[in-house]
Amino acid sequence: MIAFLKYIKGYVRIRIWGLSPERFMNLCSNRDILLWNIEKDEDIYTMCISLKAFYQLRPIARKTGTRVVILQRVGLPFFVPVILSRKIFCLGLILCVAFWIGSSYFVWDIECSGNYQITDDVMMTFLKEQDVKVGMLKSKLDIEALEKEIRRSFNEVTWTSAKLNGTKLIIDMKENDVPLIPAIKEDQGGKNLIAQYDGTIVSMIVRNGVPKVAIGDVITKGCVLVEGMIPIYNEDTTVREYQYVTSDADIFVRRKMTHQEVLRFDYIKKEYTGREKAGYYFRLGEKEIKFTMERPFLVYDSLIKEQSLRVLKKLDIPVFFGQITYREYQNMEYRYSKEQAKELLLQKINKFFATLEEKGVHIIEKNVRIETEVDQWVLNADLTVEEAVGELIEIPMDDSMENGQSSVEADAVE
Amino acid sequence: MNPKKEKIIETFQLPKDVCLGALRVTLTGNSEAWIENYRGILEYTGTMILLQGKKCQVCFEGTRLSIDYYTNEDMKISGHITCVRYQ
Repeated sequence: MIAFLKYIKGYVRIRIWGLSPERFMNLCSNRDILLWNIEKDEDIYTMCISLKAFYQLRPIARKTGTRVVILQRVGLPFFVPVILSRKIFCLGLILCVAFWIGSSYFVWDIECSGNYQITDDVMMTFLKEQDVKVGMLKSKLDIEALEKEIRRSFNEVTWTSAKLNGTKLIIDMKENDVPLIPAIKEDQGGKNLIAQYDGTIVSMIVRNGVPKVAIGDVITKGCVLVEGMIPIYNEDTTVREYQYVTSDADIFVRRKMTHQEVLRFDYIKKEYTGREKAGYYFRLGEKEIKFTMERPFLVYDSLIKEQSLRVLKKLDIPVFFGQITYREYQNMEYRYSKEQAKELLLQKINKFFATLEEKGVHIIEKNVRIETEVDQWVLNADLTVEEAVGELIEIPMDDSMENGQSSVEADAVE
Repeated sequence: MNPKKEKIIETFQLPKDVCLGALRVTLTGNSEAWIENYRGILEYTGTMILLQGKKCQVCFEGTRLSIDYYTNEDMKISGHITCVRYQ
C-alpha cells in the first residue's frame, strides 16, 4: 500500500557524492524528508526521495557540499504526460471505458434454469411478450413484477426467482414435481367400478362399495365389478334407501393379450463419403452473416459448433461465431439378416415387456414367434398377464332413481 | 546519569526512552535493526554504520549494510549485522 502511494505521488532515485553525504542525510531527516533504500557503493550514495522533497534539496546540497544527480524517475507524475501526449491512444482508452460502462446498463443474456415441463422456447416467447429481451435497459426491468407474472402465467411453477448477475438475467424456477391432483368432487350420484376388458378375476380387495363379482369369476368388458350404491336395510330386511359412494377396490384379472412388432426387410443407412467442407458464420443477436457456400454437396448434413464471444465473465454480449461442417453422405439400402432381425425384434419386444412391467402388469406366460410376410419380419407375442382392472363410471341417474323408486315401491307393496 | 531522575522514572514506571532520551534498538535476528531516538548518522559505509544518540554512540558492524529508510523519528538498517557496539 505504501509502495502504491509512493508510486502515485512519484519519486526519484538519486545519486549523491561530495564532502559529507552523512550530513546531507541528517539535514534531510531534520527537515522531515523521507529517504529510503539508501545504499553505499564506495564514495557514492544512492537513495530514493519523493518528488516533492526533491525540490527542497538544493539548499541542503549547497550547505553540505554534495552533488545530486537523478538516476531514475518513477511514478504517475512522470507517466501521465507520456500518456497524454498520445492523443489517439487516450481517445481509444476513454471510448473503450465508456463502451464498457455503457454496455453494462443493458441486459445481454437471459438464462432460465429449473424448467423441465416449460421449455426454453416457451419461456423465451413468454419473456418477449413481457417485453423482457436481450438488449433491453436494466432500469426498465421490474424483477418483482416479472416473478409474479411467471407464477401467475404458469400454474406448474411453484417458486421462481429472477436476478441480475452483471448483464445476465438469471431466472430460477421450481416446477411442481407432484402431478396436480384435481379436487375430488363430492359425488352426489356415486360411482361404479366397471371392467375395461375381459378376463378371470384372481384377486380382489374391496374398500368401498358392494362387490358384484368374486375371485374366479369370468368377467366381460363393461360388466360392473363394484357397485357404488350401498343399500341400507330396514329392520325387516327391506331396503330403506341407498347410500351413494365412489367405489374403491383393487381387483386383478388374468387375461390373454397379443402384441405384434414388424420390421421391414430393408433399411436405409447414411454412409458418409468422407468428403467434408467447412464454412464459418458470425451472428449478432438475430442477424447472421455466413461465409459458406449455398449447396456444397448433393446430399449432406451439417454440424454446427457455436461459441459466444465472452469477454468478461459477467458481461455477456450476444455475439456468436461458429463453424459449420458439411458432411456428404449417401443413402445406402441394406437388408437385415435373420439374426439381425431377430435381435432387433427381441429388443423391441423386451422394451414392450418393460413398459408393461412399469405399468404394474405381471406377465405370467409368453409365447413369442417370428414369421416372415411379403416384405417384412413379423413378431407375434401371445401373452397371459395379470393386471389391475376397474374404471370409475358414474351411476346413471335414471338407473339409480329407478332402483331407489322400485325399492320403495317394493316396500310399499310388501 | 542523574540517579535521582532515574529513581523517579523507575518509581512512576515511565518509559526510559522517552524520558531519558535513550537510544532504542530493536533487532530482528541479525538481518534487520530498527533504531529510534537518535540524533543522526556520523558515518555510513557498507560495513559500518555509526549513529549518534543523545548520550552515546552506537555502531553497527557487518556486511552489505544498507538503510531501508531514514527519517527524523526512526530508521531501519538491513544487511548482515555481526556486531552492535556502544561507545
